[in-house]
Amino acid sequence: MSNETERPALFTPKSSFPAVPAVVRGVPQGSQFAGLYARELLRTFRNPWVLVITVVQPFMWLAFFGSSFANVPLPNLEALLHIHIQSYLQFLLPGVLSTSMLTVGMFGAMSTIQDKRFGYMKRILLTPTSKTTVYLSKALGSATRGLVQIPVMIVAALAFGVHLEGDPLMWAGWLLSLVFLALGFSCLFLAVTASSTDWQTPGVISNFLMMPLMFASGALFPAANFPSWMATIANWNPVTYAALFGRGVVVNGTANWLYLGYVGIFAGVMMLSGTLVARRYLRVE
Amino acid sequence: MTDLAIEADGLTKVYGSLTAVDHIHLEVPAGTIFGLLGPNGAGKTTVIKVLTGLSDLTSGEARVAGYDVRRHPMQVKQRIGWVAAEVILDDDFSAWENLWLQAKFQRLSGWQGRAKELLAYFSLEDRQKDKVSTFSTGMRKKLEIALALLHEPQVIFMDEPTIGLDPATRRMLWELITGVNREYGITIFLTSHYIEEADALCSLVGIIDQGRIVALGSPADLKAKVRADFIEIETREAVDEGRLRAVPGVQEVRLQGTTWVLRVTRAEEVLPRLFDTLTPDLIGRINVEKPSLESAYMDLTGKRIDQAGTEGRDYRKFYATVRRARQ
Repeated sequence: MSNETERPALFTPKSSFPAVPAVVRGVPQGSQFAGLYARELLRTFRNPWVLVITVVQPFMWLAFFGSSFANVPLPNLEALLHIHIQSYLQFLLPGVLSTSMLTVGMFGAMSTIQDKRFGYMKRILLTPTSKTTVYLSKALGSATRGLVQIPVMIVAALAFGVHLEGDPLMWAGWLLSLVFLALGFSCLFLAVTASSTDWQTPGVISNFLMMPLMFASGALFPAANFPSWMATIANWNPVTYAALFGRGVVVNGTANWLYLGYVGIFAGVMMLSGTLVARRYLRVE
Repeated sequence: MTDLAIEADGLTKVYGSLTAVDHIHLEVPAGTIFGLLGPNGAGKTTVIKVLTGLSDLTSGEARVAGYDVRRHPMQVKQRIGWVAAEVILDDDFSAWENLWLQAKFQRLSGWQGRAKELLAYFSLEDRQKDKVSTFSTGMRKKLEIALALLHEPQVIFMDEPTIGLDPATRRMLWELITGVNREYGITIFLTSHYIEEADALCSLVGIIDQGRIVALGSPADLKAKVRADFIEIETREAVDEGRLRAVPGVQEVRLQGTTWVLRVTRAEEVLPRLFDTLTPDLIGRINVEKPSLESAYMDLTGKRIDQAGTEGRDYRKFYATVRRARQ
């Protein structure tokens, strides 16, 4: 055993111990949410690749998917899509935006699993921060990440020469429907992965949800062409309603506010039930 | 009000069929450095998790900083700081941003002055804008302690605070820990499997083995309880236990792996007799343990602390893996 009394001083403080107290408590509850939300966004957008992909991906969607029917005469396309349009991209834009909100929850789920694995979740939960606050900040954080695509995609569409209808109120409603969709799917993802610590889980769930919810919706093709079983899924799929609402606005200049209400209810139910799940099942490590 | 910083009564935590913490009774007076000493897997970390409210306790009661951990977990969490074994910080953020996040989580305002003083005290003020991923392990530890101190806690929990650190950094940390305790009067609850750490830092030590506290007292008390010396012998050939037992002064004989552990009255008297019984060429290695925290531990649990419990993880490798994964 070493002789402790003779050990040299290896750490010589430069200043004296800080005086107590210099700190005030009792900032509102929102401070924890604000801190966690800011952390999510900073972590995401400080990575230059995230920014690049966020900007490039919408262009690729419009360039590749949007050119798939380039050589089809417009009347044939209109017959197929059951709608009077000026270009296929005009039809596609609201649908692509809706489907891209499907996967945003994956980022929040991955960031949560990373926090569990590196122990940061312990650091958060060893302060007076509730699991509900953690859950909601993650959900809003990943939803925000998805929403950044919206202005980029709209600018991209305009750059491709797409004509968009609608007045400001309708556009606000359209954006709100996408916010609801992003929030709803973020909450769903985070609730499903609340007890997971496996990196692979969000990817697996994303793949599992992606196909049925993307294609069994009115987002990319009209449900009128579907077999009845697929049309049934599409009728319950919130992606359908955000897409139909957006399409009504940008193609016809009309808004079916019921659709917005439906997507709003979806977001509310997901947020509420997800919070209950997270409070009980959110794992610490 | 009580002047106990931590009280636990019948504290039990069961995971499935494993009783990780088994009816622990603890009283830690405010202002002490308490050390929970035990091998890996003895239940040290679980005790911290239960006392900090991170895990629910299965049965029993615990109060930390005057609040029941079950009924008022948020009140407890406002009054405790925490330093992790593996240094948990947000590596993508700067030292200052880590402090800022901690202030947000603790709902502090006007914390900036104190944060600056803490950074200056820990000699980190020049690096406060740098990403934590560029910090050395010692600097990261210091920042973690600064985070734990930011909201003026009454109790700081430190889980294996010096595991995997080089000797110089470990000593620096020892001085910091005693300094924080002395200057602020903060109660420190630390776990360790280094005997010399408990000896150097703690005024009160609990020895935990298989989820139970097997001894509790000051290091001096625990040493005084052991009125015997220990002799460890490794032999080149197999030796009959009866031969060792027959040596006068030998109280107890145990075989630990390939090593014989003899509990003897006085090593000075027994050693010459032992050399008479066993010819010198038979003895591979011999070690004498005078009363110490280590011999107290051996007396209570029958093993050396670094041999006991589950296989120790290679912490250097562990740190390296965590670092790589974070980049």
